[in-house]
Amino acid sequence: MRRISWKKIFASWLAALAIAVGWLLVEPQSVSAAEPTYTIATNNTFEPFEIQDSKGGYSGKNPGIEIEMLREIAKHEHFKYKLKPMSFNGDLQALEGGQVDAVMAGMSVTDERKQKFDFSVPYYTDGVEMAVAKDSNIKSLKQLKGKTVSAKSGTSAALFLKKNQKKYGYKVKYFDSSNTMWNDVKIGNTAATFDDGPVLEYGIKTGVPLKVVTKKPIDAQPVAIGFQKGKNLAMQKKINDGIRWMKKTGRMQKIIDKYTKGNKTAKSATADRTILGLLRANREALLRGLWMTVELTVVGIICAMIFGLILGVLGITQNKFAQAVSSVIIYIFRGLPMIVLAFFIYMGVPNVIGHKVPLFVAGVITLMLDEGAYIGAIVKGGFEAVDPGQWEAARSLGLPYHKALTKVIAPQGLKIMVPSLVNQFIMTLKDTSILSAIGVMELTETGTVIISQNMEGFKMWLIIGTIYIIIITLLTWLSNYIQKRMA
Amino acid sequence: MDKRYKVQVKDLHKSYGSNEVLQGIDLNVAPSEVVCMIGPSGSGKSTFLRCLNRLEVPNGGHVYVDGYDIADPKVNINKVRENIGMVFQHFNLFPNMSVLDNITLAPVQLGKATKAEAEEEALRYLDLVGLKEKANVNPQTLSGGQKQRVAIARALAMKPDVMLFDEPTSALDPEMVGDVLGVMKQLAKQGMTMIVVTHEMGFAKQVADRVVFFHDGKIREQGTPEEIFDHPQHPDTRNFLDKVLNV
Ligand SMILES: Nc1ncnc2c1ncn2[C@@H]1O[C@H](COP(=O)(O)OP(=O)(O)OP(=O)(O)O)[C@@H](O)[C@H]1O
Ligand SMILES: [Mg+2]
Repeated sequence: MRRISWKKIFASWLAALAIAVGWLLVEPQSVSAAEPTYTIATNNTFEPFEIQDSKGGYSGKNPGIEIEMLREIAKHEHFKYKLKPMSFNGDLQALEGGQVDAVMAGMSVTDERKQKFDFSVPYYTDGVEMAVAKDSNIKSLKQLKGKTVSAKSGTSAALFLKKNQKKYGYKVKYFDSSNTMWNDVKIGNTAATFDDGPVLEYGIKTGVPLKVVTKKPIDAQPVAIGFQKGKNLAMQKKINDGIRWMKKTGRMQKIIDKYTKGNKTAKSATADRTILGLLRANREALLRGLWMTVELTVVGIICAMIFGLILGVLGITQNKFAQAVSSVIIYIFRGLPMIVLAFFIYMGVPNVIGHKVPLFVAGVITLMLDEGAYIGAIVKGGFEAVDPGQWEAARSLGLPYHKALTKVIAPQGLKIMVPSLVNQFIMTLKDTSILSAIGVMELTETGTVIISQNMEGFKMWLIIGTIYIIIITLLTWLSNYIQKRMA
Repeated sequence: MDKRYKVQVKDLHKSYGSNEVLQGIDLNVAPSEVVCMIGPSGSGKSTFLRCLNRLEVPNGGHVYVDGYDIADPKVNINKVRENIGMVFQHFNLFPNMSVLDNITLAPVQLGKATKAEAEEEALRYLDLVGLKEKANVNPQTLSGGQKQRVAIARALAMKPDVMLFDEPTSALDPEMVGDVLGVMKQLAKQGMTMIVVTHEMGFAKQVADRVVFFHDGKIREQGTPEEIFDHPQHPDTRNFLDKVLNV
């Protein structure tokens, strides 16, 4: 029976996919012949090099040393640039994957990195410094025997600690971000912390209650902009010329002094630090993040639903090939951690197609594949849960397969699967936060950025968590209402 | 294939794995004939009936309905099915639509009638089975006997040449059986070609032109109701009738 051409349906689905990929390939890149535009990856916030404002941009008065430097160089050397703020690891991967032309992120020039990337003329010297709580009497490494010290994983501070662990006999604890690490020292869990000098000094200058005890930076290293090795030499030359000009004319020193000496950039200590005050101060950024989360969720769910329906319908055909295709796709994308999938699409795929994947598109495709696989399994299960007698009655009336499916089986199957689908929609909403890993400025990433500026981790995560609970509650109400209407 | 018959079955075989459920069935059904099939549980009656509209795919032999060989892959099975109505033991009404929509779905979807025409027709069939006032309710609110009568109306709405019934009253409370059998008698009287699998010996005696006794995947014996019920020839037939008539 069921003699509809599933090969045809599968072929048209492939065609649709091809069109989508094709659209990605031809997505226009504005390149002006007169003034080239470079895409440069940077940090969300890595004080004092990059300091995002509450809107997630760099348009404030104190956007950071490197941002101000680049602004002047671009004007002097006549080029345009587009900044892509990400985590530092994301920066390095984006540069390797060709997503960006350069990385400007307070990057130390190390021998290991030199093998992979080209570097500009250095414009700063960065070294590891040791800081302790304000009331601590530890003054040197020798006093650390048996105590716990901390560093951010993967940094030169971490390397330094590992190298000297035997000599001084301390225990090392690793962190992912400076503010949580510093907080750990403040509350007395760790005796001392090792971090980038400028980052530490800037933090202390803006109110972190620690003190630096090293006299001069350990393992000092030059800081420079990283490029793809051997590529885009015209850009390398423009930027190098620019940096030399900045140094020669004293402009560079002026910017550095602005951030490390005096009080010009100090944050006002009188800012309202209550939850209401934080909400007011970051209202715009939070709304923007929330909007991005909602947008990703809605577009993601729609795409995942379409993808899942196709997988589910393929899964219940009597065509063995279509069934196998559906099972394999569901198996792969359910098995793959979503963060790996996101990295693969955003950083990996561009290597193959030779073209950048826009961030939002990468996020939506990730959601579509990951959530779509789960929805596919739900749809398949729902259709299979419909009494086979329904198929037989519909087909014995002479209804062809697709009419029996759409008029009789699907409406009943969908009703069975509604609770699971609602659950999956809520999961999708939560899973959008995983996309912060590739730098999508949704709610979670917005929270990370805000906290890196105001250090109010507890209160800010409380706010962010509450926002998630509120929208999930709204979504649940909405779905309960729809379910009641359907019943 | 013989033009005199509505349904012609030649040497039909069907196996599930190594279990040969139908072991070479031959049967001819003339227009307006009512054939009742009886036999013990598991003897292959349902399987045979389901092979007639290809709900089961036969492993060998031929089934001609209205001159089309349903085993021929070139035959559009959906077209053939339009002419074969089927009524199931468990009704299989569509719970996602009203009684009226259950009946009009196929004629409208297959372009046999406009929605308005189909609804008018549907009401006529509902009237025939005595359920006109139930047109707009959900089938889940009906009793078993009412459901089965709606199912018959739904099958009739496609104006089939042949009607297949698979134990249409087995799932019903005893007091409901009469209503359904009444509708079937009426159909028989109007000249519908019917193949009915049933355990209702009274109905078979009264309505059937021919009774076919199934046993172990074969037709053991067939004949008029008098021949089968009053003068059974085969010991298996006698054995079976003893059991079902003397409980
Ligand atoms: N889908 C199937 N897969 C495997 N075996 C089956 C299948 N359908 C039926 N059978 C077997 O085929 C045999 C005949 O079944 P069938 O349903 O045709 O019997 P029946 O005469 O209608 O019995 P009953 O009076 O109980 O309805 C039984 O042994 C049954 O187990
Ligand atoms: Mg049966």
